[in-house]
Amino acid sequence: MSHSHTDHEAHNAEAIAEIKKVTIILSVFTIIELILGFWMMSMTSVGLKLAIKGAIVILMMAKAFYIVAYFMHLKHEVKNLIMTIVVPLLLFVWFIGAFLWDGNSFRNLRNDYDSYFKEQATIKVEKKEGEEHGAAKHEATDAKHEATDAKHETIGTSHETAKPAVEPYY
Amino acid sequence: MSHEAVLHGHESHGHDDHGHHEHHDTFLTKYVFSQDHKMIAKQFLITGMVWAVLGGLMSVLFRLQLGYPDASFPWLESILGKWAKGGQITPEAYYALVTTHGTVLVFFVLTAGLSGTFANFLIPLQIGARDMASPFLNMLSYWFFFTASIVMLSSLFVETGPFSGGWTAYPPLSALHDASPGSKTGMDLWIIAMALFVVSSLLGGLNYIATILNMRTKGMSMTRLPLTIWALFFTAVLGVLSFPVLLSGMILLIFDRNFGTSFYLSDIYVNGVGALSNEGGSAILFQHLFWFLGHPEVYIILLPAMGMVSEIMSVNSRKPIFGYMAMLGSLFAIAILAFLVWAHHMFVTGLNPFLGSVFVLLTLLIAVPSAIKVFNWLTTLWRGNIRFTPGMLFAIGFVSLFISGGLTGIWLGNAALDIYLHDSYFVVAHFHIVMGVASMFGMFAGVYHWFPKMYGRYLNNSLGYIHFWITLAGAYMIFWPMHYQGLAGMPRRYFDFSIWESFKQFAELNRFISTVAMIVFAVQILFLINFFYSIFKGRKVTVLNPWESNTLEWTTPIRPGHGNWPGEIPEVHRWPYDYGKDGHDFIPQTTPVGADETETH
Amino acid sequence: MSTTTTASPNEAKLWGGGKSPFSSEYGKVMMWYFLMSDAFTFGAFLISYGTVRFSTNGWPNSNEVFRSFPFAPAGVHAPLVFVSIMTFILIVSSVTMVLAVHAGKNMDKQGVVRNMILTIIGGLAFLSCQAWEWNHLFHEGAWWGANPFLNADGTASSTNFTNFFFTITGFHGFHVFSGVVINIIMLIMTLMDKFEQRGHYLMIEKAGLYWHFVDLVWVFVFTIFYLL
Repeated sequence: MSHSHTDHEAHNAEAIAEIKKVTIILSVFTIIELILGFWMMSMTSVGLKLAIKGAIVILMMAKAFYIVAYFMHLKHEVKNLIMTIVVPLLLFVWFIGAFLWDGNSFRNLRNDYDSYFKEQATIKVEKKEGEEHGAAKHEATDAKHEATDAKHETIGTSHETAKPAVEPYY
Repeated sequence: MSHEAVLHGHESHGHDDHGHHEHHDTFLTKYVFSQDHKMIAKQFLITGMVWAVLGGLMSVLFRLQLGYPDASFPWLESILGKWAKGGQITPEAYYALVTTHGTVLVFFVLTAGLSGTFANFLIPLQIGARDMASPFLNMLSYWFFFTASIVMLSSLFVETGPFSGGWTAYPPLSALHDASPGSKTGMDLWIIAMALFVVSSLLGGLNYIATILNMRTKGMSMTRLPLTIWALFFTAVLGVLSFPVLLSGMILLIFDRNFGTSFYLSDIYVNGVGALSNEGGSAILFQHLFWFLGHPEVYIILLPAMGMVSEIMSVNSRKPIFGYMAMLGSLFAIAILAFLVWAHHMFVTGLNPFLGSVFVLLTLLIAVPSAIKVFNWLTTLWRGNIRFTPGMLFAIGFVSLFISGGLTGIWLGNAALDIYLHDSYFVVAHFHIVMGVASMFGMFAGVYHWFPKMYGRYLNNSLGYIHFWITLAGAYMIFWPMHYQGLAGMPRRYFDFSIWESFKQFAELNRFISTVAMIVFAVQILFLINFFYSIFKGRKVTVLNPWESNTLEWTTPIRPGHGNWPGEIPEVHRWPYDYGKDGHDFIPQTTPVGADETETH
Repeated sequence: MSTTTTASPNEAKLWGGGKSPFSSEYGKVMMWYFLMSDAFTFGAFLISYGTVRFSTNGWPNSNEVFRSFPFAPAGVHAPLVFVSIMTFILIVSSVTMVLAVHAGKNMDKQGVVRNMILTIIGGLAFLSCQAWEWNHLFHEGAWWGANPFLNADGTASSTNFTNFFFTITGFHGFHVFSGVVINIIMLIMTLMDKFEQRGHYLMIEKAGLYWHFVDLVWVFVFTIFYLL
């Protein structure tokens, strides 16, 4: 091909420009996500928080699209390859939907029938300072053991002890 | 040219072509670390058969307990030792046997042994490729499976016994070391074996997909592929997308077992362990993750059998497969639906009832493509010039079992019925018929049909007929009564029914089932004898195309070397189902389309 | 030239056999499907995290947990700062990887080597950041099975926040680590002129796919753990 050299250069410049463009888009989206994240910290309205979270998820999906489409070059592949990648990913819709739906339902069930579980969501505890690791932790573990046993004796009745933090079961 | 001449010509040609390769092949590279897809297929088949014997033997042992709960068999103690003190299987051993039987047959026999064998063997031969896309990864796939097998086998010999919490490995039994003897080392080995198995199936599956997409010979368009290949393709897709979810679930399980996390554990009280200090985990989460694999797994097992049955039926009915595109569409529909219905295994877990009803709807949709397939198989047989070879009989047997097992699936797919039938012998009967025995029949059909291609010899027909009729009758006699037991409320996974007044009436039926199970097992040994005898002493294949089939594997030499075709890979001009067309009995795919031919595919 | 824009208008020819319908060699097809499969592994982890979070009443506030950065004076809390640095490191390393793949397509060995080195440095920097963060959290008392943090509303928290955090970021970190190893192997092969001899840099392209996938997963992990 005689004219391939100039073609090649044009194509080259185009590709580099595309990489630059996508880099900027990804950075801007990340910065917007961070701004939203900072803004959300001081927010009290649950509804607004949820809306912001929705916006962040949309930005996340957009970033994923740009990475897959341009960095992984999928957009420039043959259409059939695109379809064989994208169509199976649609399985995630039901994968996510059903799992979260049932997770939520499980919480409702526990709040209805497990009074201890529900009670835990209302008892405020003191912030533990200087959490320990190593030997000290194991002592604490024993104490928690007793607390756990006590808890099971008093299931359903109110008790003022802080929730025993989970210790590893061996 | 006569067949002999063709054969002779090809063989001498092949010798010239491959002569210089021969001396490179040592025993190790030819039979052990082989990268030839045909040898790897045979490795998968024979490892799968070893597991089938072991898994079948386990079922005989626990059927012995169910059929003769009061009897004592001193010989059991001599083979099982402390697991059968006084000649009677202990409850722990019973659960270990049931668990290993399930795991081994589902994963090692009907996944690796079935799709491992036939995907490896048939894909390159039927699409016209020299080998898999990556022969090396293919070899690794087998050796990961082999290692998984060794680990699983070793779990049978540990002090505390193999895992005994059911093949589904639900926590907390699987997540707590102290929950049962089998939950100790046995479970660790079970997890390792399954993780290796996932790697094996991933390597295999990626290879099958890439090979089918990329390596088809000239003219072999996707709609000219034999249905076997389509079925194996969807099987591979299912495996590649669903096994990783099991892997994730098991990684979380490892953390729960060893690192004190609470993914699946919450503040429950466990007998023999005490109150757990874990908080906030959800045992149902594991069931979701497990069945997200577990349900596609059912189709990973079934689809290859469906594909092979379609091919064998068409060849032996001397008729084109009825509704090729409908067959293809229903395979596709089944593959998609397989991912959407997993929670129908969980109707009694406390699943949200409304969510459950969505799963009921999606589950019942599977009846549509399944019915299409059954209809097409039956219409393929309709007015065919049927040759009842053993392979064909097993294919017909598959359809019979698929219908009778599939119909009970419609019962179980309804949450309202399932809540009554769940965990009863009705479920045992359902999945053994539709998934277990039916797929076994598909596998047998495949072995009988392609044995001449694998070993250049025929299996003995008379033994094949005995094998078929006793297995078919036996399968129905074993599992049919279980439906009634289940409807009467007999729960599965019980060690001994004789201590409940309400189940005493089934003592005789249980004995009957156990007796038939032993007879059927003995007949499988007959098949094994036939198999290994025929490898060495069977009647030799003398023609290239003994079944007068259209597909490409029969254009290779009788015993193809590595590379399959000695010369050029043949080009394909038509679909593989031109049987009884324009007055010709069959027209191989390699025959160019004639000028006066009617409509071609 | 690039093989990617040669899509034949004739569908039948494309699927007719004797060639790849995707105009790509089998290795790339396999890599794509491997990444699909890996997406389901990560998907299962993240969906499990979501399921447990949905089935629990309270959850720690990530801004209370991830608020430190190296060399910060005691008492200074800056949520999101450190993780945004990590995110940018990974994005930049992804960009250098694209440039390496691009240089490979032009048979520009120098470009490949330069960008691969930058990518490897980016990967190592990310891993170092993660090691620092894990170490910091460990000293605050967080580990598998131990959660010193309270729920956002001040109630006691289960350990599943840290359980999932360490498992998922650990699994992602393992992928970054293997990506770095793959990239180092690719760099060595480039320096040994392996690809020049083969006449193509397709291996770099496949390594690139893997590396971008690792970046892609981080987009999800970052959003789900640190922002939501």
